[in-house]
Amino acid sequence: MSLDADLAALRKIPLFRGVDDQKLRLLAFMSERTLFDAGEDLMVEGDFGDVAYIILSGQADVLINTPTGRQKVASVKENDFVGEIAILINVPRTATVTASADLVALGISKEHFFKLVSNFPDMGVEVMRALAQRLERTTREVGRLRAQLPQNG
Amino acid sequence: MDRSLFGFIWRYSKRQQLIILALTVTSFPILYMTLELPKWIVNDAISGTDFPKDLFGIELEQIPYLLVLCFMFLGLVVANNAIKYVLNMTKGVSGERMLRRLRFMLYNSVLRFRLQRFRRVSGGEIIPMITAEVEDVGVFIGEAIATPAFQGGTLLVYITFIFAQDPFLGAAAVSLYPFQAYIIPKLQRRVIMLTRERIKNIRTIADRIGETVSAAPDIHANDTARYHMADLSDRLFINYRIRLAIFKRKFMIKFLNNFLNQLPPFFFYSVGGYLVIQGELSFGALVAVLAAYKDLASPWKELLKWYQNLANVSTKYETVVEAFDVDDKMPSERLGGDESDSTVDVGNELAVQSATVSAGGSSTEVSDVSLTVSEGEKLAVYGRDGSGRTELLMTMAGLYDPVSGRATLGGKRFQELSHCTIAKAVAYVGSDPFVFNDTLRANVVYSLRGAPQDEDKDELAMLRRAEAILTGNSLHAVHVPWEDFGRAGVSDADALDDRLLELFEVVGLAGDLYRLGLSARLDEAEAKRLADKILTARSEVVRRVGEDRKLADLVELWDPKKINFSATLGENIIFGVPTDPGIHVWDCAHNKAIQAALRKAGIFDRLVKMGATIAETMIELFGETGADASLIGDYSFVSADELPLFEERLRALRAKGINGLREDVACAFISLAFRLIPARHRIITVDEELEKAILTARPILAAELKDDKDHSLFDVKAFSEPLSVEENILFGKPRADRRGARERIDELLRDTIASLELRDPIARAGLNFSVGVAGGRLSGGQRRRVGLVRAIIKRPHIVIIDQVADGDVALLDSIKSAVGDATLIIGTADPAVAKRFENVAVMRDAELVATGSWDTVSDVALGNEDAA
Repeated sequence: MSLDADLAALRKIPLFRGVDDQKLRLLAFMSERTLFDAGEDLMVEGDFGDVAYIILSGQADVLINTPTGRQKVASVKENDFVGEIAILINVPRTATVTASADLVALGISKEHFFKLVSNFPDMGVEVMRALAQRLERTTREVGRLRAQLPQNG
Repeated sequence: MDRSLFGFIWRYSKRQQLIILALTVTSFPILYMTLELPKWIVNDAISGTDFPKDLFGIELEQIPYLLVLCFMFLGLVVANNAIKYVLNMTKGVSGERMLRRLRFMLYNSVLRFRLQRFRRVSGGEIIPMITAEVEDVGVFIGEAIATPAFQGGTLLVYITFIFAQDPFLGAAAVSLYPFQAYIIPKLQRRVIMLTRERIKNIRTIADRIGETVSAAPDIHANDTARYHMADLSDRLFINYRIRLAIFKRKFMIKFLNNFLNQLPPFFFYSVGGYLVIQGELSFGALVAVLAAYKDLASPWKELLKWYQNLANVSTKYETVVEAFDVDDKMPSERLGGDESDSTVDVGNELAVQSATVSAGGSSTEVSDVSLTVSEGEKLAVYGRDGSGRTELLMTMAGLYDPVSGRATLGGKRFQELSHCTIAKAVAYVGSDPFVFNDTLRANVVYSLRGAPQDEDKDELAMLRRAEAILTGNSLHAVHVPWEDFGRAGVSDADALDDRLLELFEVVGLAGDLYRLGLSARLDEAEAKRLADKILTARSEVVRRVGEDRKLADLVELWDPKKINFSATLGENIIFGVPTDPGIHVWDCAHNKAIQAALRKAGIFDRLVKMGATIAETMIELFGETGADASLIGDYSFVSADELPLFEERLRALRAKGINGLREDVACAFISLAFRLIPARHRIITVDEELEKAILTARPILAAELKDDKDHSLFDVKAFSEPLSVEENILFGKPRADRRGARERIDELLRDTIASLELRDPIARAGLNFSVGVAGGRLSGGQRRRVGLVRAIIKRPHIVIIDQVADGDVALLDSIKSAVGDATLIIGTADPAVAKRFENVAVMRDAELVATGSWDTVSDVALGNEDAA
């Protein structure tokens, strides 16, 4: 339970890859360690949330509502970052995340994140760079998938 | 009120003035003897011959004679000073009493002003008049008659002496007095005018300052601070100019007086000298006259000082009195309470006949309106703001007197009824009822405080009453219960509280009251009453938390054998909180008792080290990253200003070690450590070893702080006064590392409180909530509801409410049910409210344009709005 352990977890997140340690440490100090019991929801699909979680220990299921009920689509574990879109823009959660075992997470709230970004614009630039990389990858993926589609006018 | 100062002094302090005069006269011979006796001692006793001497028929030898004279001298000195003491006391007391009387008279006048007047005078003007401006009057009153009598007498004696020596020289001595008597008042008159101007200017300044205080948000929003500064600066300039003009004249008077006083010696030397040379006057006589003349200067100077003082004080008196002594004041009998004869039961029919009302100024707010409201009727008076609706309602409540026509209650004109009679029958709630800086309870039972319900019984009671009689002040005791339970239809204070809770429920304030009660800190009496119930609730919470793992995840209870990771380290170590809720627990680090206890527990150095680690982390996180002040302010333990300070302190720590550190620096570090909440701030890990250290320190601190008044230690079996009701019931902290703990705990508390039927007692605690200056801690809606409860609690026969229910039909319905059979008149600008009344009177442009059911008048009423 120390700041350094949290810093180590933050450093592994791609979104924060380019951000220097000092500022990540500040982000670690401002974020809150939160405990979840097995079965407790970290977030619920459709809710508006303002906290993203880095899982420090334990695991959780990612569930999506379908006409036939909730379907598990993935599971997340240590060092995974969930709900990160919520600290960037206001959108409803796209999935439900439920702890499948007792879980410890580091919660980063939108408010804290934005305060840091507005204090340190270079941090924003690094986050933007990471997002752009992700966008580039996604675009390429979409292009590749589109090429695979049968040509039917 | 007497328009002149002397009229006032003579009317109310004739006896005191005569006593002062008599004491002054008595002091004369004694004073004379204390001057005379030393001459006897020197001439007769010491260098005298032919002993024994005869003194009051006793023969005395030289030594006894000397001793007797010396003791007589001692006795006279004592007597002289004793008389002076008594004289000064008498002067002081009579001055203070007169000042008290004057202030009370002025305040009484304020209460007798008609409401219209308050549109023209402001508190800012009235306050300095009653407080500062009359202050000098009190000081002067003791001197008013005695000084001119004493100094004038002295002067007369000396002048007589000079005349006796030589009439011609006597005439020379007083020759310039007529001139002085002519010119000085002339100059003084100008000073009086200027003093008046100065007083008015100071009043304006007071008024402007008062406005600035109330208008602060508007000043900032409109960026007009510079304008106001320029305005006040100009006022201060005017003040300076007036003062300068006063000084010029005042010192000119002094100059003239001194000059004219020193002129006669010129005549004495020239004319007197000539006469001596000519042999027409003896040399001895001239010397005696010169000596006597020198003595004239002092009483003359005193007289002049007194005269100037008189001019100044009576100007102040007159300018104050003319502001209060207005012709249209209400007769004081109308303010009398139950004991006055004017209280009668007149019936409850309310009527205005051809009433025309002006609310101050030349405009007419209500013009020729006739309206009768019979007992039990429910009537809506519909009209936009400015239609005369409010003024009509206030007239019907007896607050405005019509300039023509009649306003009657039970057929009697309001002017003929005492306020007591009217207030018993009628309750009025305006759109913004005034809320006093007191508790909620005091504000709502305000309407029951017509007269004291008990006798003044404390040790000062007799004296208080005697003084009040001597100074024409109020004979009512203020520190006794004033609440008339009978008027509220209840038998005692408890029943009254129950009734208040009912009414708060009716007006929709019950939820607010409960929340206020939860966050309230109970005073000693209330705590005693509720402690048992709260402790029961606490044990219930402890039980449920113990049984339910889900709840245990939400709250960390105070357990002497465990660290509370969701609370500050300070609370954990002291295992208590400061008694003064205004002090943070981390400020305790600067408390001497805590420091001693920490040392005794052997944890002092360790905490300093922890504080140093925190300081280092803060500097690293916030100082070195170049974070801005707002980020630091929100998250750091150390403010932006303190960061460099702590860098210095850390350097000192590194250089000198803990033992070399100044006490206050060491405590600053401890204060940082005290702020740490282990579950939230992960700067320091509370490992088993630290846990043990803290838990071992706790009982030692507890023993040390047992009798300490500044700290209240946690005890599961005792109510803790510095904690709120809620904190007392929960007896722990919501877990810092659980999401939504706060909300779910509220639920737990709600359940527990409901199951123990604690809701009412807690709401009752909410009645003790202090509402702040002018009710500033309440919202506008809450203030209006407080006004409603205040009106209904006294069970009036007629309830007149202006605009309170607009936009809140539910509230209107509850008001209707709360007033029951009583007459209800509601002023409104909301058609939805008017619609709910069978009878609606429509006001427009100061006239009553329609009455009838809403269906018949709605065209007129709403047409009015369309036209607007």
